[in-house]
Amino acid sequence: MVKTLFEKSQKGQKAYSLPKEDEAFTSFQPPQEYLRETPIPLPEVSEIDLTRHYSGLAQRNMGIDTHFYPLGSCTMKLNPRVNEWAAALPGFTRTHPLAPDEMVQGNLQLIDETLAFLCDLCGMEAGSLNQNAGAQGEFVGIRMIAAYHREKGESHRNELLIPDSAHGTNPATAVMAGFKTVSIPTDENGDIDLEKLKAACSENTAGLMLTNPNTVGLFSPVIMQIAQIVHEAGGLLYYDGANLNPMMGIVRPGDMGFDVMHINLHKTFSTPHGGGGPGSGPVLCKKRLEPYLPVPRVREEQDGYGIEWSNGTSIGEISSFHGNFAIYLRAYLYMKLHGVYGLRRIAEMAVLNANYLKARLGHLFTIPYSQPCMHEFVVQADNYLDKGVKALDIAKRLLDYGIHAPTIYFPLIVKECMLIEPTESESLATLDHFVEVMEKIVEEIHSDPELVKSAPHSMPATRLDEVKAAKEPILKASSEQCACC
Amino acid sequence: MKYTESHEWIDLEDNIGTVGVTDYAQKELGDIVYVELPEVGTEVNAGDEVAVLESTKAAADIYAPVGGTIVEVNKALNDKPEEINQSPMEDGWLFKIEIQKMEELDQLMNESEYLETVQ
Amino acid sequence: MDFVSNTGEQAKEMLQAIGVENINSLLTAIPEAIQLDPPVKDDGLSEYEGMRHMEALAAKNTFPSFDHYLGAGAYDHHTPAYLSAICQKSEFLTAYTPYQAEASQGMLQTIFEFQSAVCALTGMDVSNASVYDAANACAEAVLMAKRQQKKRRKVLIGASLHPHYRGVVDQYLESQDVDLVTVPFRSDGTLDIDFLEEAVDEDTVCVLLQYPNFFGVIDQMEEVSARVKKHEALFILCANPLVYGLYQSAGELGADIAVGDMQPFGLPLQFGGPYVGYIACRQGLVRQMPGRIVGETFDTEGRRGFVLTLQAREQHIRREKATSNICSNQALAALATLLGVLWYGPEGVKKLALTNYQRSAYLKEKLTAIPGISAYSNAPHLNEFVIRTEGPLDALIERCEKEKIVPGLPLERYFPNMKNHLLVCATEKKSKEQLDRLIEVAGRG
Repeated sequence: MVKTLFEKSQKGQKAYSLPKEDEAFTSFQPPQEYLRETPIPLPEVSEIDLTRHYSGLAQRNMGIDTHFYPLGSCTMKLNPRVNEWAAALPGFTRTHPLAPDEMVQGNLQLIDETLAFLCDLCGMEAGSLNQNAGAQGEFVGIRMIAAYHREKGESHRNELLIPDSAHGTNPATAVMAGFKTVSIPTDENGDIDLEKLKAACSENTAGLMLTNPNTVGLFSPVIMQIAQIVHEAGGLLYYDGANLNPMMGIVRPGDMGFDVMHINLHKTFSTPHGGGGPGSGPVLCKKRLEPYLPVPRVREEQDGYGIEWSNGTSIGEISSFHGNFAIYLRAYLYMKLHGVYGLRRIAEMAVLNANYLKARLGHLFTIPYSQPCMHEFVVQADNYLDKGVKALDIAKRLLDYGIHAPTIYFPLIVKECMLIEPTESESLATLDHFVEVMEKIVEEIHSDPELVKSAPHSMPATRLDEVKAAKEPILKASSEQCACC
Repeated sequence: MKYTESHEWIDLEDNIGTVGVTDYAQKELGDIVYVELPEVGTEVNAGDEVAVLESTKAAADIYAPVGGTIVEVNKALNDKPEEINQSPMEDGWLFKIEIQKMEELDQLMNESEYLETVQ
Repeated sequence: MDFVSNTGEQAKEMLQAIGVENINSLLTAIPEAIQLDPPVKDDGLSEYEGMRHMEALAAKNTFPSFDHYLGAGAYDHHTPAYLSAICQKSEFLTAYTPYQAEASQGMLQTIFEFQSAVCALTGMDVSNASVYDAANACAEAVLMAKRQQKKRRKVLIGASLHPHYRGVVDQYLESQDVDLVTVPFRSDGTLDIDFLEEAVDEDTVCVLLQYPNFFGVIDQMEEVSARVKKHEALFILCANPLVYGLYQSAGELGADIAVGDMQPFGLPLQFGGPYVGYIACRQGLVRQMPGRIVGETFDTEGRRGFVLTLQAREQHIRREKATSNICSNQALAALATLLGVLWYGPEGVKKLALTNYQRSAYLKEKLTAIPGISAYSNAPHLNEFVIRTEGPLDALIERCEKEKIVPGLPLERYFPNMKNHLLVCATEKKSKEQLDRLIEVAGRG
């Protein structure tokens, strides 16, 4: 049975070392009455056992380095090791966020150049790297829109229009920022119905949150009209940059009519997913929203760069310091290595790889949208329901073949949905292998459906009892074996 | 017994209505792991959110079919939320409401009308 | 350069399979008027050039060549070497969020252990998988408290809370139906407990205080706790987790929610991020917790395993009604801090906290013995304290910088009436020689 590290405690064992005490220090003792009286139930483990335990856990995990991950909306591309090398340079790791400006000019230049590059790439005019994730990027963008309307004396604009196919963070963010959400139904192409959009616009409209291509991988051909409708109603457009990968160097959100946007660096710009984070969500905007950008901001001055810690119009802070610096540092190098030239190659190949897979999977699944997709596409796995096999089962069986499941059951508007995004990283051989594996699985659905329904079989775990986990939550390790000292 | 579009049922005894969710609803939700019930004494209007049912993959808001006062809640569900899956129309009842305006019941569907909507 | 695998050869084959002439045929949905022309010149770099560029940029930072005494939420502690060896492993570095539990048992277990370690340190019942940073944790905790105490409106926040954390709390609370009331501090940086006593009432949602506070001061938390609990307000304690190696735990102090940043346990300064916010609470509040939580369960073969649980609270299911919009957490960074905590273990955490205390106490005594320099407060501290100069602070700072020392953080920017106040932090990394050198240079004035 799997043991947690807390169950591997052996009395007296340890890994740490500390500088030797100096007599000069030991005479200082903290006041007795404030001292901790309860034990700290942490395990006592030596360095070799810590190393073995975590190395063992790594072997019970999948990653891009080891497996193909066709996860729609996640852009699981290669995480280049050169980025890791750069992030570990002591010249960066040893910089304190509150150091005097003149001592961190390299960092400030990095921030300035990153924003300049991204603004150019996206057709925007100013930005901030302080947001620690895409969701924070969304929150900041929406707060900026609120500030804009407030300045113009239009705080009554308290409604945000959101397509029903949107990612869950969109409505969650809207509510967190104090808005009401108005759901816009999407048509049979996953596109916004212009008539319904017009009908939903009113004097209370603050804006529209949209991603383009949309969450079924299609570029909205009427995006300019969408922008016009919302702008005419007095609202602003927010671009959810989760699907930016196929756009780079081909078209710019700013040119589509968007006023403010965020980017997910851990998607488009290859920063590592790390098992769920850290991410980074740069926000970019047009000039009219610039005054509201969060602080601190980096300003270019006569003799170098300076940090502006506060100003009269900013919406304020969004993180403890400057955001996830070591993450956008990785993205900065990625941008420099590629240039716009390389980023365009990425976009084109992301589109090509996705359309290729879509063409090759057509005989196995229902493809709800026949027009060319962008970087990802949906398939419906509902044609196997008569055998009792759902998208979930196919996803689990893929794991047995060494391929991570695609995104399933998102977006909510497609039945038994699988959202597939190969990214530009993958070679033709990998894509062909994926098709072969899918063909095998479909064969199994016909010859031995139970095998698929009870998959996976070759993972460190079979299907886990999520009901038990939610009903009787055990959320931490038992520390019975830990020394109480 | 009357039904709402959002899959609640309400069973009447004089002016007290017992409210629960239908078999269709419990199937859609999957195994229910937690129930958030209203406080006894709360006054609600028709269409107000009064309870939440949580499964591993969804959380469903339960709406008051009619306006009134909550007079009793099914405390057994705190320990055994799965009753809703096992017996949605009987032991899995959620709460009892003292109905303010009996006319509001006319807005609701009868059994055959409801079954048509989930066809 | 790029990392695109397929070239012209493969592209031809793929276009044929799709049934189009060229890639442009796949882009026809994009209005021509806004389509950009493909760039002609390759403006990228080779890997070698990219690396040289980064080295040159890093070299422009002169701060690493200084002996510095900065803290204020970003602490300079030793990073155990084995941390990067584990965190750079492919399966941790390049893994996705553990939604497919069977393929992510490794990551899920590390998160479970992280949650356990946070509970062990703070003395609380439940922790989540991390939030972005301490500022975010403070904001999320207040939102959590508000969800729990729906009918109340008053939120009390210590004026001695880190100003940046307060800024983020304001950001998240601005559109909520709450009344933020600031509890002032006295002239020695300790909390005005009388004001607190007056202010806490039946309408109070929660009280948020920092421990040690922004000035490094440890308040009389037992006194505070009693007053908060009298009216059933929730007590939110924001703490540098190292404090729990020496002083009373959040659990001992009766906190309802414990928040802070795990950065001190092994994450380098890296200009402020990524760090690791933690949120831990008592059992009764678990369903109000934002973000991911990992729980233990069994698989179909009866083997112990781990899954993301209580997901119905999260944005991907609950959408508008989610406890938060948080999607990603700080996963890999959280793993790093877990490895740091475990490297120290129960004994090491205590020794680490004590040596931090002792080195800074030594520095404080010697610095304040210098004529013209006095202590701001005599309250207990952990590894930070504030000194005051009689003459202009700039003179001291200039003198130090000439000797390649950054003596601390001037507080005037945060508190305009604290003109000659400096926040000084000394960790286990400071040898006696280093401390004596700062003392000597400071004394030259």
